[in-house]
Amino acid sequence: MTEHVLSYMVFFPLAGMLIVLCLPSDRHDLIRWVSAAATVPPLLLGIWLYANFDTTTTGMQFVERAAWIPAFNIEYYVGVDGLSVSMVLLTALLSFLCIFASWNIDKGVKGYFALFLLLDTGMTGVFVALDFVLFYVFWEVMLLPMYFLIGIWGGPRKEYAAIKFFLYTLLGSVLMLVAILALYFYSEPNTFDMTKLMDRSSLFSTEPLGMWPFNVWGWGFQHVVWMALFIGFAIKIPAFPFHTWLPDAHVEAPTAISVILAGILLKMGTYGILRINYPMLPEATADLAFWFLAALGAWNIIYGGLCAMAQTDMKKLVAYSSVSHMGYVMLGMAAFNTQGINGAVLQMFNHGTITAMLFLLVGVIYDRAHHRDIDGFGGLASIMPVYAGFTALAFFASMGLPGLSGFVSEVLVLLGAWPKYHALTIVAALGIVITAGYMLWMMQRVYLGPPNEKYRSLPEINGREIFTLFPLGVIVVIVGVYPRVVLDLLQASLNNINQMVIAHLS
Amino acid sequence: MDLGNVASLSLFYPEIVLAGTILVLTILDLVVANKRAMAYLGLAGCLVALGATVDLYGTEPTLLFHRMVALDNFSLFFKVVTLAALVGAIWMSIGSGEVRQVHLGEYYIVLLTCGFGMFFMASANNLLMAYLGLELVSLTSYILTGMLPHNRRSAEAALKYLIYGGVASGTMIYGMSWVFGMAGSLDYATINAAMAEGGGNQIALFMAFVFILAGFGYKMAFAPFHMWSPDVYQGAPTPFTGFLSVASNAAGVAILIRFFYPAVSTLGQEGAWAFQALPALQWTDLLVALSIITMTWGNLSALNQRNVKRLLAYSGIAHAGYIMMGLVVLNNDGLNAMLFYVVVYLIMNLGAFLVVMIVANATGREDMDAYRGLAWRGAAFPAVCMMVFLASLTGLPPMAGFIGKLLLVAAIIEGQFYVLAVVAMINTVVSLYYYWRIVKTMFLDEPAPEDGPVAATASAMPLLGALMVLTIVLGVYWAPLLDYTTGSLGFFMP
Amino acid sequence: MLTEALTTSALLFVIGTFGVLVRRNAIIMFLCIELQLNAVNLALVAFSRYVGVEGQVFVFFVMTVAAAEAAVGLAIIISIFRHYRTVNVDNFNLLKW
Repeated sequence: MTEHVLSYMVFFPLAGMLIVLCLPSDRHDLIRWVSAAATVPPLLLGIWLYANFDTTTTGMQFVERAAWIPAFNIEYYVGVDGLSVSMVLLTALLSFLCIFASWNIDKGVKGYFALFLLLDTGMTGVFVALDFVLFYVFWEVMLLPMYFLIGIWGGPRKEYAAIKFFLYTLLGSVLMLVAILALYFYSEPNTFDMTKLMDRSSLFSTEPLGMWPFNVWGWGFQHVVWMALFIGFAIKIPAFPFHTWLPDAHVEAPTAISVILAGILLKMGTYGILRINYPMLPEATADLAFWFLAALGAWNIIYGGLCAMAQTDMKKLVAYSSVSHMGYVMLGMAAFNTQGINGAVLQMFNHGTITAMLFLLVGVIYDRAHHRDIDGFGGLASIMPVYAGFTALAFFASMGLPGLSGFVSEVLVLLGAWPKYHALTIVAALGIVITAGYMLWMMQRVYLGPPNEKYRSLPEINGREIFTLFPLGVIVVIVGVYPRVVLDLLQASLNNINQMVIAHLS
Repeated sequence: MDLGNVASLSLFYPEIVLAGTILVLTILDLVVANKRAMAYLGLAGCLVALGATVDLYGTEPTLLFHRMVALDNFSLFFKVVTLAALVGAIWMSIGSGEVRQVHLGEYYIVLLTCGFGMFFMASANNLLMAYLGLELVSLTSYILTGMLPHNRRSAEAALKYLIYGGVASGTMIYGMSWVFGMAGSLDYATINAAMAEGGGNQIALFMAFVFILAGFGYKMAFAPFHMWSPDVYQGAPTPFTGFLSVASNAAGVAILIRFFYPAVSTLGQEGAWAFQALPALQWTDLLVALSIITMTWGNLSALNQRNVKRLLAYSGIAHAGYIMMGLVVLNNDGLNAMLFYVVVYLIMNLGAFLVVMIVANATGREDMDAYRGLAWRGAAFPAVCMMVFLASLTGLPPMAGFIGKLLLVAAIIEGQFYVLAVVAMINTVVSLYYYWRIVKTMFLDEPAPEDGPVAATASAMPLLGALMVLTIVLGVYWAPLLDYTTGSLGFFMP
Repeated sequence: MLTEALTTSALLFVIGTFGVLVRRNAIIMFLCIELQLNAVNLALVAFSRYVGVEGQVFVFFVMTVAAAEAAVGLAIIISIFRHYRTVNVDNFNLLKW
């Protein structure tokens, strides 16, 4: 049992999907419960993983490997370190909760839950895969269900949003594929094994290429491959100027899918950079980090924040706040010190929980009022006090109020970034003020003031909705008060990744 | 080994079986009233020929009929592919409403003859044999394209096909006549030896090879020799279009590889080839340019198509460009990737045309509007299959098309053609847009009130299911197929 | 001798190709294709005189194939004439972009 724990986590939802496909399509409740049951074992296994994870070593744990295509040395190779185990936990938790957030889907129920479970398999797979081909396959497996989940169950402009998401992500992933193959043929002997490629990072040449424009920039093989991978990941993060798919996808997607998008898919971008670019291409990382991670990150923070401020749609506001918050992750990991990089990954985890809450909360009000116009509400706090309480918790966490999880990670990022980038840190700190601005402004317009007569009779948040929000709220508070529950997991692995790059810093 | 006429017959039984089937069908056509039985007889003939072909594996590579025809793993591979395409096409024809209108006896006879010609395209060891094989395929294709009675599109497509085809084959044999003049023979081995000595004027030789490439490229639908393909695809009966798209492409690949590798190149160290006597650099550049133009042209033209058959025609042109990438790198990995892609393309494209046929049977239409909300009109299974085939054509994992593209791109990256690799990948993204328009129409659009339910053709369902399962299985576990194509690279080297 | 024969053959081939490109009558276009084939035959026969008999054999096959192509081609042209009452290719416009 224990030696295959990761495989069970990956393939349990897939088995669930096959079962769901065999159920009669009019038994909606049965399908929902079976789907929920399929996400429980990964969650339990995730908790078991958390309890049994050895936080002192830097190596991969719970490793499984088996030959897949021997002719190309392609393996089924999975394992986790501190970086991935936090993401796997987040995936297991959010997938479980999102099944319940999807309870009121009543069109094509069977298709929805089958695709959702397939998506779950893809997401978990990306975080545990240690073979490049396996990684790429899982990365792409997510695209199909995501396209249909947005395209069939989405809002009015669902088709546009779905194909835009698909095209952007595929563009990124094909560049990634070229980079993966270049690394494969450059490594001697050729391998798709990520851990071996990390050990052979010194093989990848940084001699400037003769080809224009790389000879002008002084870019070598390593830099070009770094860039190809980075564009693939930047589209997922999403970093400016590749972010435009995000607001569209979020606004049109059903609530649970928005949660998955913001909570997990965005993390894959920064996860990929830390897992692949940092250890495999350390010199290029050291050379390019300032412009493409730190400066772009700071710009993301400000740009996302200002865009969020201008929105009138609650979901769009939350979407742009994601752009802004992912900027902290980029800035933090470009700091190359313990605080920065730990803060960055903690921010990934925290953003996953906080934004999930925000989208769930927007979903709750949308289900009742059928619109998300910020100016169309008012005084909701007196109509739905419990709901307003949860909202306040999520908003304050997102703003970075001390005692809640957002504060810890943002402070760590800023502390880490300060010694290296003074100006950018000041800019990033301004971002916190902007966040507070749009969050409080939305709070004021939607929840405070005199109650809007039209919505006097809105029902209070129900038990199922509280069930999806409560665990996230608890995590937000616990991590805010005692961040070591997550940081202990991360530290050893992240410092190891960090050390690989630090050696090349000039 | 080098066998004479009578001795060759003992190693020629797949062709004999196929030719026998054609003759029996011709006679039966005169005496039997129930023409539907002929389809089953043709199917049986193909299966027996397939068995005979498989039986020939393990024979030592041999030249038959005084060096005219080569018997090696490479030709056996393409015979298997052709027979598989024939089986698929006949199975499709049985359920096709369009085919029911034509004279069934002649239809099956000409279809089998077309496949028979492909056998010779794949195994020719002499320019004369290559020409005859190619012409046999061309002539039968013209007939099949124009076969639909009282159908303007069909007649018009046949005429266009005839004119383009005539010019292409005229150009090709003009090039062949020059090669003959400079090398002193039509035999591949003699040509190879003459090239090795550096015989002939370099510029004349270059032109002659460009002319020959035009003739071969026309069969595969390379730009700028692709003009016939969209018209023919749209005008021809759908089962034949499906057959043409996969088998004509495969036969073009076969004749191209056999002429450009064993005939005019030498095998060097570690499976790398080198063109003899040809200015190698210019050749590689020419092939890269052709490949880029073909895939880009095909993909961009497909973007605006409303007719699904025509869209698939342009997608076929783009795929010819992808397959061409394998030729550029001049080594066995590239060839291997080409063969692999040919098999994968056979499966997924035949599947896509099968769905086109099912929809056309039920609605009588081929345009995009006929697919509106297909998944919700009682044809969920064909719609899901179509989605799988289109995902595979796009090159998304875990479908077989992804592996095909992976191998091709891996081969060119190994050869350090990074620009070509990036162009191919961006083309993949472009192709996603038009393939996904079909998926969007099938799943995301609501059926309009006038769209009736779609009754799926029952006889096509087993084939459809098998093709879909193969597409997915080969995408997850492709090692057996890869081993097979690697084993098929055995040429009869002169 | 060879030069003259090859020059004639090249001229014939160019005239044939040019004819297909500029003429609009299907039958004339078809005749131009036959002209191309005859250019090829001339070149093959000329080369044969110097390098071997294979070229002359090829010529016989080209002639046979040309006859077969003419049979199929004229059948198709007749069938399209029945639909359109013309053989001018500019009028065949059902299939485009």
